[in-house]
Amino acid sequence: MSRILRINTREKRYSFESPSPELQALGGRALTSKMILNEVPATCHPLSQFNKLIFAPGLLSGTPAANSGRLSIGAKSPLTGGIKESNTGGLVSQKLARLGIKALVLEDKPIDDAYSIIVIKKDSVEILPADDYLGTTNGDMIAKLWERFGKRVGVASIGPAGEQRLTGASIQFADPKGHPGRAAGRGGLGAVMGSKKIKAIVVDDGGADKLTLHDPDAFKAANQKWADLLRNHPVSGQGLPAYGTAVLVNVINEAGALPTQNFRSGRFEFAGDISGETLAANIEQRGGIVSEGCHPGCVIRCSQVYHDKDNNYLTSGFEYETIWAFGAHCMIKDLDDIARMDRLCDDVGVDTIETGVTIGVAMEGGLIPWGDSKAAIELLKKVGTGDPMGKIIGNGAAFTGQALGVDRVPVVKKQALPAYDPRAVKAVGVTYATTPMGADHTAGYGVCQNILNVGGTIDPLKKEHNVEISKDLQIATAAIDAAGLCLFVAFPVLDHAEGLQLIVDMLNAQYGLSLGASDVVQLGISILKDEHEFNRLAGFTAKDDRLPDMFKEVFPPHNTTWDFTDDELMKAKTF
Amino acid sequence: MGTILFNAFSFLQKQLKEKNIPCTNARVPFSEGQRVKDVLRNMNIRDEEIEGVFVNGKIAPADTLLNDGDRVAAFPPGTPGPYRLLLGIVKKVPDSLGKKQNEG
Repeated sequence: MSRILRINTREKRYSFESPSPELQALGGRALTSKMILNEVPATCHPLSQFNKLIFAPGLLSGTPAANSGRLSIGAKSPLTGGIKESNTGGLVSQKLARLGIKALVLEDKPIDDAYSIIVIKKDSVEILPADDYLGTTNGDMIAKLWERFGKRVGVASIGPAGEQRLTGASIQFADPKGHPGRAAGRGGLGAVMGSKKIKAIVVDDGGADKLTLHDPDAFKAANQKWADLLRNHPVSGQGLPAYGTAVLVNVINEAGALPTQNFRSGRFEFAGDISGETLAANIEQRGGIVSEGCHPGCVIRCSQVYHDKDNNYLTSGFEYETIWAFGAHCMIKDLDDIARMDRLCDDVGVDTIETGVTIGVAMEGGLIPWGDSKAAIELLKKVGTGDPMGKIIGNGAAFTGQALGVDRVPVVKKQALPAYDPRAVKAVGVTYATTPMGADHTAGYGVCQNILNVGGTIDPLKKEHNVEISKDLQIATAAIDAAGLCLFVAFPVLDHAEGLQLIVDMLNAQYGLSLGASDVVQLGISILKDEHEFNRLAGFTAKDDRLPDMFKEVFPPHNTTWDFTDDELMKAKTF
Repeated sequence: MGTILFNAFSFLQKQLKEKNIPCTNARVPFSEGQRVKDVLRNMNIRDEEIEGVFVNGKIAPADTLLNDGDRVAAFPPGTPGPYRLLLGIVKKVPDSLGKKQNEG
């Protein structure tokens, strides 16, 4: 049976324990959120010794199940002050699972300033001095650790922003090629890792046996169908591999929902210049990689490697939300400069959504001109240097807005809104307002059976049905995060009757269970209940579930406003 | 007579560009009584190559009558996003899933 590995970062000692009966059946987000609720005082300071940082592979992670290599990282967020689950690809999830580690828990914090790295292997756990690595960027960190411990080891690291415990700090993960292109970006978890003085975690599953499956034949049969389902669906099999998530730039712009110039309108004049189509054409012309996976066993492969005009590497995992944040939000139309900012964020270790939105808030505050990509790059380069302005930017949109006297600050629970305007796609606005995570599009990304009861067409510009949709999406997403599956499996699962059952079949074959589809929905609900309870204990109330006043402004081209009452929003949290 | 502002996205944009058919912010003329699908057929786009159509920023049926100055965009199957359902790109409830829900 897999175990929980606890590391006391003050005493530099570790212990393994068997999970309690309550935790045995949980994985991924279900496990991190349950443990945070049970073990972290909700009122604690997120950077104190009382917070914990928990890494948990999803339930299917480590098995051959296609697209099951996602990792959940949980803590009390220093950005939001509430519970956080940040989800990432990379190599760590599958390797932890194969080592039989259900959760890695970092506890306490050192009294001195000495940093450590943690090295986890089949028969050993080492906590080694890391002072030589201080100040190292994530890109260099992964290169050094691969040189020291071997290529292909899993790496989670923080950059200078995490060391400085900035609330926009991310934890970056080596992708299969060793680029720091995967991130647990949201919620400032890099600052929690920095508070515990852990510079990096290395996970080497060399010599580990394959995971034991309860019914290998049934698992293989279900996984075969599952992989075929993902490969044969037009979204996961064609659209995402060809254009990545950036294919959404043009579509969301056309829908009038691409927030432009700090959420002033839903269309960006230069959307085509920063679109997925332009991105793919540049890669084809210059070199780079159009399509690659964020973890082994991914069959969707929506990541890419993007080069500049001289065919030099610029960045990896160049996502829609990043392109929007530094692009339309800041009125920047130079895709290569946006790629440079993506790389800077990955290296210094800050969330690209939070930081891109923050740059736009800095433009709102008059610090640099709208659309000036060179000034934005120079501002971003200050993050992690110790420069006071860099510290302001690295602490995110709410902090920067306050520092600059700005009244249009697009955050919920102090976390920056992502790339879909809540007035033009209202269900996602409900999710931004009510998810325990703070404004987060991935908290309601997916589909479940309940949604299908709504059926028909839902007008994204009106209020009707959008609360129910958001609630059902949040439930489904929580369950997918617990399974360790990539969220993009949601597209084929929606379109094929068999999809959800195949996930259940794989879980049953792996663990010897007899779950039904309704159990998956119940799992999603139980996760959300745990998370809402933590936030309640932390002091969150209905006032924290509102969008800022700026969304009462009329939003062209559809000229809609944000018009939900507290009572209406509360229904998205009532199970 | 009139003109629409036309855009094609994703694979469709690539395909039309290869045929030198204007498809990014293109002014495309149409005749009285023509519908979205007529303009698409004039570009030799087959019905199965389209998953959805925007008319003035809203998902609309392909037989929507055109008005002068309309903004029209077409995209092919394979377009992702959390909003396939929310924007009305996906409309149909798969029968079997609905059935499972009813069964409990």
